Amino acid sequence: MADYVISYPHYLVLENGHIKDACFNELISYKDQTLTIKHQEPVQLHVVILVDDAEFSLNYNIEALAQVDVIETRILGGKAILKRHMTIGDGAIVNIFHENLSVSKETLVFDDQGTIARDAQVQFGYAELSDHSEEANFHYDLIGENADVRLRMAALAKESEKKNYTIEIKHLAPNTTGIMDNYGVVKNRGSMTIDGIGTITKGQHGSASHQTNKIIIFDPECYASANPYLFIDDFDVKASHAAGVGKMDEEHLYYLESRGLSKTQSMQLITYGYLKPVVEVVENKMLRERFETILAKVGGTNV
Amino acid sequence: MSVLKVENLHVAVGGEEILKGVDLTLSTQETHALMGPNGNGKSTLLAAIMGHPRYEVTEGSITLDGEDVLAMSVDERSRKGLFLGMQNPQEIPGVTNSDFLRAAMNARREQPLNLFRFIKALEGAIDDLGMDENLAHRYLNEGFSGGEKKRNEILQMKLLQPKFALLDEIDSGLDVDALGVVSNVINDMRQGDMGLLLVSHYERLYKLVPPTHVHVLVDGRIVAEGGMELINKINAEGYEWVKELGVDIREKEEKQGIMLGVCGNKVTQ
Ligand SMILES: Nc1ncnc2c1ncn2[C@@H]1O[C@H](COP(=O)(O)OP(=O)(O)OP(=O)(O)O)[C@@H](O)[C@H]1O
Ligand SMILES: [Mg+2]
Repeated sequence: MADYVISYPHYLVLENGHIKDACFNELISYKDQTLTIKHQEPVQLHVVILVDDAEFSLNYNIEALAQVDVIETRILGGKAILKRHMTIGDGAIVNIFHENLSVSKETLVFDDQGTIARDAQVQFGYAELSDHSEEANFHYDLIGENADVRLRMAALAKESEKKNYTIEIKHLAPNTTGIMDNYGVVKNRGSMTIDGIGTITKGQHGSASHQTNKIIIFDPECYASANPYLFIDDFDVKASHAAGVGKMDEEHLYYLESRGLSKTQSMQLITYGYLKPVVEVVENKMLRERFETILAKVGGTNV
Repeated sequence: MSVLKVENLHVAVGGEEILKGVDLTLSTQETHALMGPNGNGKSTLLAAIMGHPRYEVTEGSITLDGEDVLAMSVDERSRKGLFLGMQNPQEIPGVTNSDFLRAAMNARREQPLNLFRFIKALEGAIDDLGMDENLAHRYLNEGFSGGEKKRNEILQMKLLQPKFALLDEIDSGLDVDALGVVSNVINDMRQGDMGLLLVSHYERLYKLVPPTHVHVLVDGRIVAEGGMELINKINAEGYEWVKELGVDIREKEEKQGIMLGVCGNKVTQ
């Protein structure tokens, strides 16, 4: 299994459902697979989830008005399944970065669900540069008025990996905002599908649902599909989507090359630039360095 | 001294011939002005010299001190000392200006520049150009104003110290003060061993950076050459006089824009 490096003073390491290591303060507790975070002071927490060819479920209960930054490192192997549910209370401010470091020859399953209550502001970052195939479903419901969620994903499928993502933000209260930006890169014989779904049910006036799904393909044998879906059942809303699959922008490449950067170097820089902003979800130097090291996998193209 | 030589250059874009035999010789320490009506091939010439993949050279040659430029990749041309300040610089999301500048400077050095020296060079150049320091940490040209993009091109030129700088409408989008600042930087650099090819429609730039040679490009050919007097003539009379030389000015077929009026009627502009 891949190594992990604890990146915040407070942490919880779970290995196949057991606590392997932990350091909490009085605002954090863990019992019956549920991690509870109370409000009062801002909390920074690193959660490491190790699952070895099994199924594991984890719940977060983030109480009203809590302010938390979470790095959740996921290291799965075999045919592991991770189910993660998050309840976010009124007015909470939550930034959570999901760092997938799994390695497997099999297909892994990720199922993230969550409910976001009134006035809560949540940012989700997903770094999906790991070495395996996967079926991933990220689904968040906005259940209280003014709930605001921004989700950003950076994903890489290389060699013969198949990665399928279904990402849904569902507006179940008025004046809610859901924005997602999903960026993918596919190399070699890799395959990636991103289905972005924005749903606004009837009565949720004043809501906004926006999404961008983009995939860059590097090689002729890549498969990629980016599909935006908007299901809107109210008139007084704002919605938009942009989706695209294509090669790297020729004008961008030319611009960098005209300054002396080789084609490989230019492609690398553009790809980094495209995937890198995801780490801005939380402020953490160690995470940033890890992410940049892993990004090097994207480079070294043979195009 | 270095020489950049363009001979009988024919260039096609998307199958259409735009340049129809251009000859131009530039030496370092010379400043050439290239003028001509819109859409007659000025940017095409610069793009062909730099090696833009969509501009196909169908005939002719480009050499730098005798070396075949057309055989070089775009990045090689840059490392050999060619620089193109673009009419419309690209916006590159996620790539910070300073990371890009450092990579570009290192691309032409054996040993990478140490961080301290890079920062000093960058800060010095930013200061000379009167730029906002924050622009260094922003994503490359993303959300930059028109004038900021142009200054950022000159910043790159200053840091990369090319042998030949081709500047495509570097004055467009610059306010009067910025134009003064940019001209000073250009004039400073041409004290050294640098050659310049300036494309501009306006006398204003040429007064600040006086050219040694002037060329007029119409319909893919150079139809007149001379000095400042040619610029004054164009400034006063436009390009109608070239027709007397038996040259057709290439006119763009403007597509008529169709705008939807307030009540849904089609309104042609
Ligand atoms: N990438 C391209 N794709 C299609 N047509 C092009 C392209 N580049 C240039 N052209 C065409 O070639 C002709 C010459 O264009 P060019 O940009 O060289 O003109 P210019 O002299 O620089 O004009 P301006 O003064 O307006 O900048 C124009 O008709 C233009 O539409
Ligand atoms: Mg032009």
